[in-house]
Amino acid sequence: MPKFILDGKEIEFEQGQTIIQAAKKSGITIPHFCWHESLSISGNCRVCLVEIEKMPKLAIACSTLAAEGMVVYSESDKALSARNAVMEFELINHPLDCPICDEAGECKLQDYAYSHGNGESRFNEEKAHKDKRVPLGPLVMFDGDRCISCSRCIRFCDEIAKESQLTFIKRGDRVTIVTYPGKQLDNPYSMNVTDICPVGALTSRDFRFKARVWELSSTKSICNGCSRGCNINLEVRNNQVLRLTPRQNDEVNSFWMCDHGRVNTYKFINAEDRVDSPYLRRKGALARSGWDEAFAAASSELKSYSKNEIAFIGSPYATCEDNFILSKFATQIIGTKHMDFIRHFNTSFGDNFLRQGDVTPNSFGAKAVGIFPGKGGLDLDGIIKAVKDGQIKAVYLMEDDMIAFNPELQEIFSKLDLFIVHATNFNKTTELADIVFPASTYAEKHGTIVNSDGRVQRLKPAVATFDVDRALEGMSLSRWDKFGTKFDSWAEGNKRDARSSWRILAGLSGAMGHKYKYGTAEEVFMDIAKSINAFSGLDYEVIGELGAKLKLDSVTKPVIA
Amino acid sequence: MEKIVLPDIKDLHLIDVYIQNGGYTALKKAFSQTPDDIIDQVKKSGLRGRGGAAFFAGLKWSFMPKTSSKPKYLCINGDESEPGSFKDRQILEFNPHQLIEGTLIEAYAIQANAAYIYIRGEYHKWIKLLEKALADAYEYGFVGDKMKEKLGGNYSVNIYVHKGAGAYICGEESALMNSIEGKRGYPRVKPPFPAQNGLWGCPTTINNVETVANVPPIINKGWEWFSKIGEPKHPGTILYGLSGHVNNPGIYELPSGTLLTDLIYKYGGGVPGNKKILCVIPGGSSMPPLRGEQIEGIKMDAESLKAAGTSIGTAGIIVMDEDTDLVQVLARIAKFYYHESCGQCTPCREGTGWMLKLLNRIAKGEGSTHDLDLLISVASNIEGNTICALGEAAAWPVRFMITRFRDYFETCVSREVTIPVANKVHSLRHTEYPLAPIKD
Repeated sequence: MPKFILDGKEIEFEQGQTIIQAAKKSGITIPHFCWHESLSISGNCRVCLVEIEKMPKLAIACSTLAAEGMVVYSESDKALSARNAVMEFELINHPLDCPICDEAGECKLQDYAYSHGNGESRFNEEKAHKDKRVPLGPLVMFDGDRCISCSRCIRFCDEIAKESQLTFIKRGDRVTIVTYPGKQLDNPYSMNVTDICPVGALTSRDFRFKARVWELSSTKSICNGCSRGCNINLEVRNNQVLRLTPRQNDEVNSFWMCDHGRVNTYKFINAEDRVDSPYLRRKGALARSGWDEAFAAASSELKSYSKNEIAFIGSPYATCEDNFILSKFATQIIGTKHMDFIRHFNTSFGDNFLRQGDVTPNSFGAKAVGIFPGKGGLDLDGIIKAVKDGQIKAVYLMEDDMIAFNPELQEIFSKLDLFIVHATNFNKTTELADIVFPASTYAEKHGTIVNSDGRVQRLKPAVATFDVDRALEGMSLSRWDKFGTKFDSWAEGNKRDARSSWRILAGLSGAMGHKYKYGTAEEVFMDIAKSINAFSGLDYEVIGELGAKLKLDSVTKPVIA
Repeated sequence: MEKIVLPDIKDLHLIDVYIQNGGYTALKKAFSQTPDDIIDQVKKSGLRGRGGAAFFAGLKWSFMPKTSSKPKYLCINGDESEPGSFKDRQILEFNPHQLIEGTLIEAYAIQANAAYIYIRGEYHKWIKLLEKALADAYEYGFVGDKMKEKLGGNYSVNIYVHKGAGAYICGEESALMNSIEGKRGYPRVKPPFPAQNGLWGCPTTINNVETVANVPPIINKGWEWFSKIGEPKHPGTILYGLSGHVNNPGIYELPSGTLLTDLIYKYGGGVPGNKKILCVIPGGSSMPPLRGEQIEGIKMDAESLKAAGTSIGTAGIIVMDEDTDLVQVLARIAKFYYHESCGQCTPCREGTGWMLKLLNRIAKGEGSTHDLDLLISVASNIEGNTICALGEAAAWPVRFMITRFRDYFETCVSREVTIPVANKVHSLRHTEYPLAPIKD
C-alpha cells in the first residue's frame, strides 16, 4: 500500500483517497466542518488547511489526494495559524449564544473554538445579522446567525435524501439558507440535517429546548420504526427518552435515520398510558394486581382449557428472546399448535433508501425463533376464524395492538372466554383483555431483533424499570463523575413496574409448575443460538454494537404481503 | 505604432469592413493547418493572458487532452468587472469580429465542440453588439454548420453568447463555468483544473476576450512578428485602461512595457491641475498600489511590474492625485469586495466584511493604529486561505495600501491605541487537558 507522512507518522492510503480520508482511516482526525464522509467534497470551510511540502500554498486536506511520499503537516506553524485564522473568521459573526443554543455540548464550532481557537476575539464591530427561528419544514428550525454556510445540509438533501429542497441565497456574509420557492424541508429524512449541521443553525423542532445535551445519557440501540433496524442512540434524561439520534452502521443505515423513526417511535415509552403493573379484570373492569396474583390467575385460567382451545399470538415488535420463550411456552407447556403473529405491512411507507414496507422491527426474528403454526395448527387467519366460531376460547397475545390493527376484531375477540395480553401501553386490545401484563418497551430491555436483511442487532435498556437497570455497557454520559450521585440526572424520574415479555412468561410458567432456568436475556439468546440453526455461532459479544448476519439459507425470508 | 486589437479603422465592427481589411483570413489560414500547429504558433508567439494572471496562452491550450471521450469546450471570459478595467467592452464594440475569429481559431486548435462567450450582465449594450456581429458571422458562414462549406475542412463549431447576472465572482473561471451550467456562481475547488474538469465536467479552456482577440493577427502575420512587439517576456500590445485623475482617460493600445509615466503624462495628458500623484493602481483595483514617487521608470508588463512589487492584472491604471482621500478609496475598494464576495468559503466571506467595518470606522475618524495592524492581519489571514483568487483580490489592496502608505494612514487614525476588551474565553489548545473526540 502506498504511504504518505502526516505529522511525522506514516499513513497508508488507497489510490483516490484524500488526505483527510486516509488520515481518518488511520484514526487521525484533521479538523473539518464542511467535509462529511458520505457527502461530496465542498471545500468551503477551510479549517482543514494543511501544509504540504513542495506546495507553495496551504492545501485543504479534504480535497487534496494523498500521494506516495507526500509530506503533510497539520500541526506546523503555518497550518495552525491558518486554522486559527479560519476559526476566528467563523466566530466573528457567530452569535456566541451557546448558553441558549441546543447544539451546545455537541457543537463542532464550540469544540473547535476550544481546541483550535485563539481564546479571544479581536472583532469589535457589529456582527452581521440574519434571520432567526425560521421553520424550514415541519421538523427543522433554522437560525441564520449561527450558520457557518458549510453546505452540509444542502448536499444532504441533494445527494442522500435526493430531494433538492435547500439552497444558499445572497452573497458574502449575507449568505443564508432557504428552501426553494414553494418547497419546504419535508423529505422523509429531513432531520438528519440537524445531526450533520456542525453548529446550532439547524435544530430539531421535536427536541428544541427540551434538554441540554450533556444532561442526556446515550445508549446504543435499534430503531423500532420499521424492519430496516437503523442503529440509533437512545438519549435519556430522568428516565425519559428525549430524543433518538442515528448511529453509524455502514451495513444498515450509514449515518442516517428517517424522521418517522426519530419522532414517532419513542413517545409511547414516556407516555402516561403505560401499563404500570399487572392488571386483572374484576367485575368487568381492569384492576391492579400483584405479579404473583396475576401469575396464579393466568395459570389457573389457562389450565381450564384444553390445548386446542388456546392460541398464541407472538409479536414482531418484541425481541427474539420474547418470541422464543413464547413459542416454547406455547408448544412445551400448553402444547398448542395454534400460533402465529401479525404482519404489519405498509407498502406506501417503504422507499428505496432506508424505509421498509414491513413497519415492525422483528418480524424476521419472530418467525425465525419459532412463531409459526405447528403441523396442523392454525395460522393468524385460522385463529381469528376459530375464535369467531368458538373453537378457540383463549388467546394469549404478546405485545401487539390487535384491535387497532383490525377494528373488526373487536366484536370477534370480545367473544373470548380468556384473553391474556402483554402490553406496554393501554390500548384498544387491553380494553378487551382479562389479564394484562406490563411489558417493557424496546428501550427498557436487553434483547435482539432481526432486520429485514437477516441482521441480528442488540437492544439495551436505556430506561430503568423495577426489573432491569440501565445498561452501562456502551452507554455514554458526559459527566461520569456525576454517576450515581444526586446530580446524576439519569437516575431520577419514574421507574415502571414492567418486565420483558420473556420474563413474564418465565414467571408464568413457574406458576404453572415449570421452571425455566434462564436468568438473563443473554442466557435465552444462548439457548436460541444452540437450538436454532440460523442463530448458531452467535452470542451477544459477536453481535456487538453493529450486529451480525443470520445464516440466511436456513430461514425463509418473510414475504411482503 | 501598430495597433493589433483595436486598429484605427472606421466601422471595423461591420463584417464587410472587417473582411475588406483582411478579416477572417486568419481563420482560413488556420484551417489549412493542424490544430497542433496553431497551438505551437501561439506558444511561440509568447502571448500571455490578458485577464489578470498573464498565463501563457499557448501553454494553457496545450493542457487540453488530445483524446477525450467527453466533449471539449471553449469559454471566452468577458465578465469584465474589475474596477478600473474597461478594455474588453472596447473590443466588443469596435472589433467584435476579431474576437469571433480568434474564438473560432482557438476552438479549432483545441477541437472544441462548442464555444461560449460569457459577458457580464451589466454590458447590455455590448452584448447586443456582439450578438449582432455573431449573427452576421453566422450569416456569412464563418460560424456554425456552414463553416465546412465556407472554409473547407471538417470542423465546425457554434458560438453561444452567455449573459452574466451581475456578479464579479463569475469572472473567476470556475465560477463562470458554474454560471453557464445554471448553478450558483461559486468558484470550484482546484485541482481539478478546467482542462480536466471544466464545463459540465468536460475538458475546457478559458481565455480572456483580449487574449483571444490577439490570436488572428498572430496566425496572419506569424508568431515571430508578434513576439518582437514590446517586452520579449510579455510580448504584444496591451489595452491599457487609464482612469482616475488624468486629463485624457480611456483605453490606449500600446506595446507592452510602455512606461507608466508615459501612459499617464504622454498619452493620458497628465494630472488635472498639474497636481502630484499620490497613488497609482496599475492593474485594476485588486492589484497592489504604488506610491506616486515609486512610478518613475516602471514599465507596464507582467515581469517589470512583478519586480516593482505589484502586478499587471488587467492593466487598468487608476491614478490618484495628492488630494485623494486614500481612506475613502480603500474603504470603497473594500466595499466592492465585500459586496462581491460570493460567500462560499470562510476567510473571504467573513474577512471582507470585517475589513470594511474597520475601514468605515477609520473613515469616520474612530480608528486607531491598532486597527491598521488589525487590517493587515485580517487581510493576511484571508490571503492564500481561500478557494479562489478573490481572496487575494480582496486582501491585497488593503494589505499593500496600508503597508505602503502607513505614514498616510497613521495621520488618519488616533495614536492612542485602545485595544478592545476581548471576549476572553478558555482556550485549551495549549493545554494537556484531554478533550473528548469530536463527533461528525
